[in-house]
Amino acid sequence: MKISARQNLEGKCLGKFLQLNSMKSKQMVNNNLIILMHTQMKKMKLLFLVLFITMANGFAQQRTLAGQVLDEQSKPMAYANVFIKGTAEGATTDTLGYFSFTTARKGDIILCVHMLGYAEFCRTISGNTLAPMLVKMNPDNVALDNVVVAAGNFRLKGNSQWGGMSAVDMVTTAGSTGDLYRSLQTLPGAQIVGESGKLYVRGGDNSESQTYIDEMHVLSPYTNPGDNVPVRGRYSPFMFEGINFSTGGYSSEYGQGLSSVLPLSTKDTSPITKIGVNPSSVGLGGGGTKAFSNGSMSVSLDYQNLGPYRAVFPDRLDWINPYQLFAGSSQIRFNPDPNIVYKTFIGYDRTTFTQQMTSPVDQTTRNFDMKEDNLYLNSTFQRKTESGYKIFAGGAFSLLNQQIGDATVAGDTYNNKEWEVHLKTKATKRFSNLLRLNVGVENFFRHNQTAYADSSVIHRASINHFISALFATANLNLTANLSAELSSRVEYMSIDNSWNYNPRVALTYNLNGIHFSGILGRYTQLPDNKYLLLNQKLLPENCMHTIGGIYYEKGDKVYRVETYYKKYNDLALQQPTVLNSEGYGYSKGVDLFFNDRSLFKNLEYMMSYSLNLSKRKYQQYTELTTPQYATVHNATLALKYTIPALKTIWGITDRFASGRPYHDPAKDGIMNSTAPFYNSVDMSLTYLVSKKVIVYASATNLLGRKNIYDYNYTNGASGYRITPVTASSDHFFYLGIFITLSGKTAYDVSNF
Amino acid sequence: MSLIFNNKLLKINQTMKTIKVYVCAILIALPFFASAQELASVVETVKKANQVPEFIQVRNQLERFSMSQPQEWLPYYYMAYTDIQLSFMLPSKDDKKRYLTDAQSCLAKLTNLSGANQSEVHTLKGFRLYALIASDPQTNGPLYYGELTACYDKALALNANNPRAVILSALFKNDMAKFMHQSYPDFQKEIEKAATLFAAEDTATVNPTWGKAWLDRAKAQK
Repeated sequence: MKISARQNLEGKCLGKFLQLNSMKSKQMVNNNLIILMHTQMKKMKLLFLVLFITMANGFAQQRTLAGQVLDEQSKPMAYANVFIKGTAEGATTDTLGYFSFTTARKGDIILCVHMLGYAEFCRTISGNTLAPMLVKMNPDNVALDNVVVAAGNFRLKGNSQWGGMSAVDMVTTAGSTGDLYRSLQTLPGAQIVGESGKLYVRGGDNSESQTYIDEMHVLSPYTNPGDNVPVRGRYSPFMFEGINFSTGGYSSEYGQGLSSVLPLSTKDTSPITKIGVNPSSVGLGGGGTKAFSNGSMSVSLDYQNLGPYRAVFPDRLDWINPYQLFAGSSQIRFNPDPNIVYKTFIGYDRTTFTQQMTSPVDQTTRNFDMKEDNLYLNSTFQRKTESGYKIFAGGAFSLLNQQIGDATVAGDTYNNKEWEVHLKTKATKRFSNLLRLNVGVENFFRHNQTAYADSSVIHRASINHFISALFATANLNLTANLSAELSSRVEYMSIDNSWNYNPRVALTYNLNGIHFSGILGRYTQLPDNKYLLLNQKLLPENCMHTIGGIYYEKGDKVYRVETYYKKYNDLALQQPTVLNSEGYGYSKGVDLFFNDRSLFKNLEYMMSYSLNLSKRKYQQYTELTTPQYATVHNATLALKYTIPALKTIWGITDRFASGRPYHDPAKDGIMNSTAPFYNSVDMSLTYLVSKKVIVYASATNLLGRKNIYDYNYTNGASGYRITPVTASSDHFFYLGIFITLSGKTAYDVSNF
Repeated sequence: MSLIFNNKLLKINQTMKTIKVYVCAILIALPFFASAQELASVVETVKKANQVPEFIQVRNQLERFSMSQPQEWLPYYYMAYTDIQLSFMLPSKDDKKRYLTDAQSCLAKLTNLSGANQSEVHTLKGFRLYALIASDPQTNGPLYYGELTACYDKALALNANNPRAVILSALFKNDMAKFMHQSYPDFQKEIEKAATLFAAEDTATVNPTWGKAWLDRAKAQK
């Protein structure tokens, strides 16, 4: 393509134009850049100016926050932490409770005051508030509770609970022989029923006391050693981190117990890997724990055989095969997060013994042969959420299977199989210092079947039923000194298609450290299975608790007085021709308790006394009378003395109970006589041989008193034959050696 | 032309942006820097404190820090430390219990907090249990002995050269041996090791450097 001259000229002109333009453009660009830079610099200057002005303004416009902090008695509170919420700005009050600090923050702010033991105080302060503030703090009732529980071994809310009791405390109490339930019998409210060993509380039958492990019900907490041989707890006290014992007026969360509850809690974490063995005068045990980064697993095995012991210390019974117990248990704990705990416990034990029994009527003999299997499985989940909820869910399965040969006469057999599934879930949240709520549901599914057979008859019976319950508790801190606990429990029982409503109210008032407490609560429980198997239309038994108490703790001394009245209704009553729910009764009394750790160095002593007046028309008692197990007076004096130079802890316990009523058929009326009083002086010694070896020795009834609990009358040709009911032996000696085998731990008697 | 202009404009803008970013970063970091400086000053006070009012004052400052910067481990750590020190100094059992409970809650927060020196955290956990035992040896000794030993063991497993874990563990073992009328054969060796470690420690840091007083106590026990 050719370019014409004109086109060429035009092209040159255009080129020139462009060149000129280019030069102009360059100049323009430079000008623009300068303008732009100026603009940017201006912006920067402006930015710095704004920042400077802002900062200067901030410094110039700081405001002062000042005031005084007072405690609940309007006394100045020194060292309180006063601060603006979400910031590090604040100050500490001086000895007169005054504070003052400056802040550059404008507008509304939230001013908070913190002091350990007191509820957090927060208030919104508007931007134009200049006047000094007056802040009044109130004690944090949660913190207060914790302190009281630990310092005085009492839990005031919920009544009568000995918090902080440890397995070591229990074992070193003379006469406990390392048993959970025997140790609890030294506390006020518990009654001494020496031939049984089970818990009888404030005039209630032993079936009215319920045991819980990690909030889940235990169907069969006692071993079965035979007639007139005191039972022991199936589970070692060393398993438990917390042992609380409530002798009445307990929270509505616990149902199906008319007299008392014993909630036991296992450790949430067990961070120590350990292994140990403990040979004792009654058997051999051992086990250990393997700790992981987020959990642990514990295993324990125990074999008891009273044969060798009885060979050295014979008792009054004729043993064909000695009492033997094989027990194994394991617990897995998993803590994926500090706020989450999973725990699963499984325990199995098998008991066997054969005892020759002689009939007091015709002197014939039979070999009472017991085989018992017990399984307990318990799995729980706990979580604390960021929003302050505590969530709990758990399930437990209990199975008891007993096979007895020569149960009542030679040649008969009696089988008893019982199981229970317990499911429970609850949520707890403190909404404010004023209100804490606990709401939950639970279900018990129960089964029991029995079969009795002799040469002429076979009798079978069984029941299946369930109990569903909804419970709710509100803790209200009404004032700094007054708190209330309102709770209720609604239960449905499938066996008689009935609904029960159990309300409860508890009030606690703190007057200069003296706590006054009052509780009114209703409790229900189904009759014992042996009656339900005969009549499934029996009503749930019920009991109304009315309790008033005064508690005081100063230094190392704890004082406590508690009085109670319990009214029973709808108790199972075995009339001559009919079994119905027309039984009733009452139990009233006073419990006194004093504990002191300050009299002499290294000495701790405890005194408890219980007065109980109890009468019932129930079960086989067809007239209103005092049940055979009830004692009017119970008293305990327990001393513990530590001698560091000898590395020993000595314990002496003296237990006394007035005579129990019994029925003398030669006299008018029922339960018309009184057996002799009970007394037992027990002693224990704990000796730290080395850091890997602990020796524990215990002996009961050192004075050798023959305690008689009852008399059996047998009608013979020459009149009544009277047989005193005593424990199988007057003394019990226990010697246990706890040996730690693992290298890094010591002074540890717990496998868990 | 416009391309050149645009490019230059772009460059200027970028430069200005970079400056702005730096300025903003400085402005943003300024409070944190100031806060770090302030924390350093508070930590210095912690190290110098030896009276109850001083410990309470500094504990309150740490509490405010912990609430304004909940992801920082040092405020919780030193708060737990001052709580434990206060439990030794206050005569009332209730006060001891309150402060040791608060220390436990601070230490619980440190367990899963990223950046927390777990060897130091476990040492402090053991130290808290030691304070619990000291408050009531008869009751708490048998209860917490095993857990305390496990804490120091864990601290030393994480850092064998943690001087606080070395000396506190040695002191406790020696005390227990004395209680059993025995002796702890490695006591002297552990004291020497702790002394070397303390001497090599940089004390001009906000990180934990306390514990020399316990070394002096151990030396006095030899």
